[in-house]
Amino acid sequence: MSNQVLDRTGARKAPLFGLPAVAVVALLLYLPFLWTTYVSFTDYDGLASPVWSGLANYKAMFSDPDLIGALVNTLLWVVGMVTLPVALGLLIAVLTYGHKWGTWLRLPFLLPYAISGVAVGVIWGFVLQPDGALGQALGFFGLPGAHTGWLQAGPGNTLMMIVAVTWQAAGVNALLFVVGLQSIPAEPLEAARLDGAEGFSLFRHHLWPQLRPITTVVIGLSIVGSLKTFDVVWVMTQGGPGTSSETLALSMYKETFVLNDYGQGAAIALFLSLVTFAASILYLRYQLGDAREQG
Amino acid sequence: MSRVKTAILVVLGLIWLAPVYLLVVNASKSVDGYDAKTVWKPAGFSLFANFGDAWSKAALGDTLVATTMYSVIAPVVAVLIGSAAGYAIVVLRLKRGFLWFVFIFGGTIFPLQMILMPLFSGYANSGLYDTRIGMIIVYTAISVPFSAFVMRNFFTGIARSVFEAAVVDGGGLFRIFRSIYLPMAGSALAAIFILQSTFVWNDLLLGLTLSQSDSVRPIMPALTGLQSTYGGASLPTVLAGGLLVSLPTVILFLAAQRFFSRGLALGQF
Repeated sequence: MSNQVLDRTGARKAPLFGLPAVAVVALLLYLPFLWTTYVSFTDYDGLASPVWSGLANYKAMFSDPDLIGALVNTLLWVVGMVTLPVALGLLIAVLTYGHKWGTWLRLPFLLPYAISGVAVGVIWGFVLQPDGALGQALGFFGLPGAHTGWLQAGPGNTLMMIVAVTWQAAGVNALLFVVGLQSIPAEPLEAARLDGAEGFSLFRHHLWPQLRPITTVVIGLSIVGSLKTFDVVWVMTQGGPGTSSETLALSMYKETFVLNDYGQGAAIALFLSLVTFAASILYLRYQLGDAREQG
Repeated sequence: MSRVKTAILVVLGLIWLAPVYLLVVNASKSVDGYDAKTVWKPAGFSLFANFGDAWSKAALGDTLVATTMYSVIAPVVAVLIGSAAGYAIVVLRLKRGFLWFVFIFGGTIFPLQMILMPLFSGYANSGLYDTRIGMIIVYTAISVPFSAFVMRNFFTGIARSVFEAAVVDGGGLFRIFRSIYLPMAGSALAAIFILQSTFVWNDLLLGLTLSQSDSVRPIMPALTGLQSTYGGASLPTVLAGGLLVSLPTVILFLAAQRFFSRGLALGQF
């Protein structure tokens, strides 16, 4: 049977196999997406009809002090998440890669990855209680800060929650970097070693340049993930005290489902989506570019 | 050099394990035996009593049944729908297949926040709000794009001659999909299932938004409920709850670590 006949046999019925996926995605993801986009330009409480209000909700985002605070906190999350867990992940990957017990030494860092954001919040809420586990440990070693109220004022509470999520995220970043390291051809590396390169110099001149693509992916994913920060904050502080640790994802939820200001919530959601989209391009270009080559 | 590496890793690893140690030790203390001033010291073993407490007080029993349903059924359905799409695009050479693929995969690019409100309104109007079937539908939809992405990549790696031979043998397109392509994709299917199942199990936001009753509400929103009703009063119970809901995903992860790394490699993330 010729290839053309085969292609025609397949192509005629192909849409039937693709349709369920498209239908589900269109109905439950794209349709809501469009509705939220529309509502973001309206004044809407979820009951009466939406009333067109132009950019009012967007202007509020940059003039309401609480929302500006949430914006700043979200920025803190982004900066925190592209530095701490990425740097630690890279360190763990480089130290464990090629190590005799690498897989085992990596395990403690991977364990938190399997735990939910809610459980991370429960655990760290406990660790960070005033005079709690962290305070007692600092006191035991005679370090300052034993009586700090870690979660009781901004921006310190946000920073401590970034530490909590670093605890969860460093391991998976390490795993991604290990995948990156594994794809580096061994021979040039051996040659460099024979030439006397070792330690940091070996890393800087021979490993790091080849890790660039995977680093792009890790950073892209970190930005996207940090923009959506909700679970840990919801559990540990509910955005408080006051709104001092609120993130935009949390503001969106509160504006919509607590204050019934659907328009404002939608505007925050769309803003988050646009920034997320821009960040996604960072790593999707790499991913989809790869996919296009394949087929 | 190697000894320095090991030392750094061991110290860091111990720091990483400290919160886990604190969780287990304090979740094991009896409510009366718990002393906020000595959280680092183990004291007694009432873990199972605390599990029982968390179970009954937060109605975790009902929740556990519901959440298990969600995290098994939704990923299975999503994996099938996603594979069918991958099959259509790669094997059947769907016209403008890349466009179909971008459309399906694009469904995951924006954050959940973008769809919460319309889903809430739509669910309230259609009677799906606070129903198990409603939760299964939304979890399935969320899982489809990733499944389609991975399966498309997977099927790309299978030789064209497999399809040609199957057609020559006279199999229908559906039969070829079911009895040749799906069985070949076993490990990819398992990887997607494990990742998506973990996602559903760990979800807070969708459960918080689309459900309220004990028998429908997934386990993570239920756990946050447990924490707020108790405040600081009975920490061992809350911690036991946290430990209890983490056990399935941690065990799954340890048992299937290679699937996780494989899933990461397959999706390249």
